[in-house]
Amino acid sequence: MSEPFDPPEEAAPTGSPLLEGALDTLVQRIRERVAPESDDDDLLELFEELRRRAGSLGVRERSGEVDDFGMDPEFLRAAEPLLELLRTRWWSVEVDGAEGIPREGPVLYVANRSGLLPWDGLMLAGEVARQRGAEAQDRPRFLIADWLITLPWVQPALARLGGVRACRENAERLLSTGRSVVAFPEGAKGATKVYRERYRVQRFGRGGVVRLALELGVPMVPVGIVGAEETHPILFKVERAVRPLGLPFVPVTPTFPLLGPLGLVPLPSQWRICFGEPIDPAELAADLAENEIGVARLNEELRQEIQRRVQVGLSRRVGAFG
Amino acid sequence: MSGTIAITGVRTFLGRRLSERLARIAGVRVIGIDRVRPHRLPATVDCQLVDLTEPAAGSILAECLHKESVETVVHLAFRQQPSADVEADHELDTIGSMHVLHGAAAAGVRRIVVESSTQCYGARADNPNFLSEDHPLRGHPQAHAIQDRIAMEALVDELRAGHPEIGLTVLRPCWRFGPEADHGMARYFARRVVPTLMGYDPLVQLVHEEDLLAVFEQAALAPHPGTFNVVAPGVVPLSVLLRSGGKRLLPVPHPFLHRLREFPSQVLSGDAPAAFYDFLRYLWVADGAKGWAEFGRPTYTTRETWASFVAARRLRSRL
Repeated sequence: MSEPFDPPEEAAPTGSPLLEGALDTLVQRIRERVAPESDDDDLLELFEELRRRAGSLGVRERSGEVDDFGMDPEFLRAAEPLLELLRTRWWSVEVDGAEGIPREGPVLYVANRSGLLPWDGLMLAGEVARQRGAEAQDRPRFLIADWLITLPWVQPALARLGGVRACRENAERLLSTGRSVVAFPEGAKGATKVYRERYRVQRFGRGGVVRLALELGVPMVPVGIVGAEETHPILFKVERAVRPLGLPFVPVTPTFPLLGPLGLVPLPSQWRICFGEPIDPAELAADLAENEIGVARLNEELRQEIQRRVQVGLSRRVGAFG
Repeated sequence: MSGTIAITGVRTFLGRRLSERLARIAGVRVIGIDRVRPHRLPATVDCQLVDLTEPAAGSILAECLHKESVETVVHLAFRQQPSADVEADHELDTIGSMHVLHGAAAAGVRRIVVESSTQCYGARADNPNFLSEDHPLRGHPQAHAIQDRIAMEALVDELRAGHPEIGLTVLRPCWRFGPEADHGMARYFARRVVPTLMGYDPLVQLVHEEDLLAVFEQAALAPHPGTFNVVAPGVVPLSVLLRSGGKRLLPVPHPFLHRLREFPSQVLSGDAPAAFYDFLRYLWVADGAKGWAEFGRPTYTTRETWASFVAARRLRSRL
């Protein structure tokens, strides 16, 4: 059964009349099966079947159309009512300073990371998409830390919602193809800090985010997110007992693991997303990207600005749970 | 266009089809090299029998290439399927490649084209979404065929440093599919029910066999030095790909994978199951831009490649 659909080749002289005879018989048989001289019904039926199958293939294809980073507009549209419910009812998200968001071109949103699951990235990306009134393709992608990528179910779902693994190559590719990115330079330190450290913006890595913005000339918008911290308040982390299971730690929140999977439902805290003024790298010194001290300074300034946004958000919010 | 092109591993799918394509071009002479004579080969293709696992294969090959005044060597003599005999695979894939590279250099060929794979990057949770050619080849510690291919690439790098006059082209295709695909992966995906990993759904990328052959043909005929990923445009989540082909998914929790060891007999390779299943678990999509710029854009996207594979399989089952 190797290739019945090869056109009968210009009979390669094989040297063996026996083999040639066998090949001729085979070609004859295939011809009989595919196109009998008497009527073409079989052939027509075959083509009809093919056409039908190909048609149904097309229908099924459309539902799973994803872009090069795996974002699925269909999936997003299906999730929209739930996300809308979370935004308006569950967390009553309020927004400050949205008028400062650049309307055009790729933007690097830099925010504080909080809460175990990346609800903050999802909400911020949705908020920006709403403010810019843009199409799905222009929705900013939020970067997610490695430890979330390794979790089953989480990664495929996040990828379809616009989550992308946080690494330089990905951010660079997104920004240079004109798509906005939401970055959380605190990384895992932000997501897994315990409740009593809430709203203290942690150290910002090694300045990768700042350097990228400088190199690509993309404006940065500092964002303070208030409320995500209370969605999964980590009371303490179990570290030593779970090491044999191969996990770095298991967070203990008021509901997890007490309520099992139900404990993963985020708590209904009050949210506030505070956008800062865009920082345009064109206005900064041109040689800053090569200057390590300059990058470090800008990195720290950015952290402080985000901390200020968080404080503003906290002061304007009535209470953590309304 | 003129010249003599030698193809090692002319019995393989790529070897046979490439020799057919090249033999049609006026002024090109094709010499097929393999351990045994293939059944079907164009009459104009000369076949030389060399066993690359022999200790003296290098000098035998050098003599043969020199006698025929070969200009280009296309090295495709690799195990088509990792077997349980890890040692024998290593003898051909790594040591055999060493013989080919050294023999070709000794015979003074002008160009060498070798077949690698994007699987050499390895399927890792911490891969970027698109792996470019300069990404380190991390492979998979338990997949011996991939490790052998990485060792082969290291030999190519050594040769590149020692013989700057030889034009070296390394082509890294991803999974090759199409109407004729009949390798282990194709048979795995040809099942009606395909075991996948519960909770994982990586983006998948394929390359169509005709597009791959066209790239090999270009690389064999003209100098294209460098390393190139050869992939189709577009990525599709594994589950979407399989469902669009009318397949059922059988998600298996990965701690139970060792029980599946005997189950996908097509991929039985003497390696731990993870050596195979990690490629259905994590991302290992390559960036094709460099190859497209060099060889032109492929005619098939990943979806079209898959559709042609599925359609041909269905048609064949009707016959």
